[in-house]
Amino acid sequence: MGAAMNRGKVRGHAVALAVIALVSAGCGGGDDVNVDDPGGDGESAGSGAGDNQGGDGGTLIAAISAQPDQFDPHKTQAYASFQILENVYDTLVVPDAEGEFQPSLATEWTTSEDGLTWTFTLREGVTFHDGSSFDSADVVYSYNRIIDEQLANAYRFASVASVEATDPQTVTITLTAPTPALLDNIGGFKGMSIIPEGAAEATDLATTAVGTGPFTLEDTGANGVTLARYDDYWGDPALVDSVEFQYVSEPAAALTALRSGDVHWTDNVPPQDIEGLEGDDEVELGVTPSVDYWYLAMNQTKPPFDNRDFRRGVAFGIDRDEVTEAARFGAATTNQAAIPEQSRWYHEYAPFEHDPDQAAELIGANAAATPQPMALMVTDEYPETVQAAQVIQAQLAEVGVEVGIEQEAFATWLDRQAAGDYDAFLLGWLGNLDPFGFYHAQHVCEGTSNFQGYCNPEVDTLLQSAAAETDQDARKTLYDQAAELIVDDVSYLYLYNPDVVQAWAPGMEGYEIRADKAINFETVRLPE
Amino acid sequence: MRAAETVKLLFRGPTAIVAAAVLVVLIVTAFLGEQLAPYDATATDVSNRLQSPSADHWFGTDELGRDVLSRVILGAEVSLRVGAVAVGISLVAGVLIGLLAGYYGRWVDDVLMRISDVLFAFPAMLMAIAVLAILGPGSTNAMIAIGIVYTPIFARITRASVLSVREEVYVKAARSAGAGDLRIIGRHVLPNVTAPIIVQTSISLAFAILSEAALSFVGLGTQPPDPSWGRMLAEGRGFVEQAWWMAVFPGLAIFVTVLAFNVLGDALRDVLDPRQRQAMAGTGVTA
Repeated sequence: MGAAMNRGKVRGHAVALAVIALVSAGCGGGDDVNVDDPGGDGESAGSGAGDNQGGDGGTLIAAISAQPDQFDPHKTQAYASFQILENVYDTLVVPDAEGEFQPSLATEWTTSEDGLTWTFTLREGVTFHDGSSFDSADVVYSYNRIIDEQLANAYRFASVASVEATDPQTVTITLTAPTPALLDNIGGFKGMSIIPEGAAEATDLATTAVGTGPFTLEDTGANGVTLARYDDYWGDPALVDSVEFQYVSEPAAALTALRSGDVHWTDNVPPQDIEGLEGDDEVELGVTPSVDYWYLAMNQTKPPFDNRDFRRGVAFGIDRDEVTEAARFGAATTNQAAIPEQSRWYHEYAPFEHDPDQAAELIGANAAATPQPMALMVTDEYPETVQAAQVIQAQLAEVGVEVGIEQEAFATWLDRQAAGDYDAFLLGWLGNLDPFGFYHAQHVCEGTSNFQGYCNPEVDTLLQSAAAETDQDARKTLYDQAAELIVDDVSYLYLYNPDVVQAWAPGMEGYEIRADKAINFETVRLPE
Repeated sequence: MRAAETVKLLFRGPTAIVAAAVLVVLIVTAFLGEQLAPYDATATDVSNRLQSPSADHWFGTDELGRDVLSRVILGAEVSLRVGAVAVGISLVAGVLIGLLAGYYGRWVDDVLMRISDVLFAFPAMLMAIAVLAILGPGSTNAMIAIGIVYTPIFARITRASVLSVREEVYVKAARSAGAGDLRIIGRHVLPNVTAPIIVQTSISLAFAILSEAALSFVGLGTQPPDPSWGRMLAEGRGFVEQAWWMAVFPGLAIFVTVLAFNVLGDALRDVLDPRQRQAMAGTGVTA
């Protein structure tokens, strides 16, 4: 055949130029991330921390992939910011690695008989990094700041009537309806941190931090952030003198720096590198299921995506196993609902087997055109969405949907999502613990994160009653029912729960990789 | 100058012949891409991903199990199409602006050339990215963006040549014979300013292809899953340790194509520049 002959020709031409190719590949390599920097900066940071204590805990250097947008815990929504703030601020309660809430700034709490009054007893002898002492006024101030300024996390106080300081060591939260998820709402992550009374007016919290955590925020620069151990910390002081976060956007640069000992820890490990790192003596690899989930959403204000049967057709047309393998290289678990199987709120429900025939039938009967065009919006901010989209495109092409992939910068992506200017998109939700976080804002009719325009009154009723149900078993049953409807209606087309992948220096002790991706260096000891 | 003579001079050296041969192969590849490619370039097969080069897949497979050879072959069409259309846009617009500015001079020249200067002042990639930020990503918009970026170069080159040509005796003669501006520009000026424009076209094609690759590399050009060399390079970057072939082969393709256009452009410059040509042709040929 003619094709075979021509193939030979193309190949011969390539081989002749292979020598040149090596040169061009070397030059075209990649971005100029300066991995030499950590060593130099690390030294100066170490000596700076030494002034306070003369400790020899050393400086832990962590390479993170993204740069924090700001350091105001109540305002930022960036994971990169929380990676740092996790070590600087505290919340009243804090989830342990299993997601159970433990005392932090509050030592104990009680709930009234009717579930409408929660009383928190605060820890004594806690001081902020500026030396002022912590009491109930700081809690009231912090929570009211989020509520009054209607900050992004204000929805977590939706059922809160008032936050009052009963006495300096006691805070009383009064609710309009029982809220079993209250501990998650006020302590699920560092977005609910306690800041000193008046701090937002007295200092610029976007660039400085006044927390109660094990480390103080020292220098913030374009290349990274330095934290120093806070010696008056209420718990056991941290073992390292200081922590330096470096921004390293290239995974290859982060891994090289880790292997050479320039950094001690990184989360910038793409899933395709896992296999190669498993037998690597120079790197300790941590892989554990996360509480994140990734999904496809269709715009339910636009035909034919507003048609439930059409969406169900798409759900039957997608082979989740293949999508998951393509996007995550096995470092994920497919799921047809949001909550991962490690969670006590997991509900096994998987009505969509990959079934191209049924998919083609449902799509054919309800599409507006043949094939039905569907623009799928993705962002290179999350490369796994670009990979997943290409596999989904190939799968849906076989059942009558012509997917057009639109790769946008994340800022544009978010604008278009907010404006409803899309047919479908791929994205994930990170770090939820309580089913309220997994389902509520995304699927109630007027939900603040319900960008896909889903509205099922039955789901609303179930989610509202579940949010106020204090009996855990009854509450789980309500969420299970809601989840089944959400899955059946394809409000979100759930794909998988990814694993958390992190790597650190062999011999680094006391670090715990967590499902919620909270990164805490409080108990870490550097290798000798 | 006669075309046949130019071609003869052009191919006196082996470099121009090799460059032209490479480009012919590329153009044929671009036109016959679908027939040449051994596999469907967008067909994914995740179970067969990241295969190293073998008899089945000469250039290996990528992270979604697609055949890299097929994608490089089809990428030729994308690169050449974007390059040709983009340079076509800047050629037409730039030559028009240059002719008007050079022929009419005075305020027309001032206005058009100052606008060109403004466009020139921006780094080319930055401006292409800015244009794409307004138009939205995609290969059609990439053509427009690259076309806009390279327009001022053509305008400047054309204007410079027109400035000398319009003072020529034959232009003055045509004017005194009562020829209109349009006729003078079309019949007497344009044919005498083509040489530098041809050279610039060849060199601009190289830059346009490089620009397309760069824009696709940052995600603004060709959209997935369509194969584009720049895009493949970007995808391959994350797999350098596991699959060198994902980045090396498209990188090689960009390199060869850009080199071929540059070499041909240089050869054309040598031939079309009257002084060079005299030197090359020696005493035997009159220019």
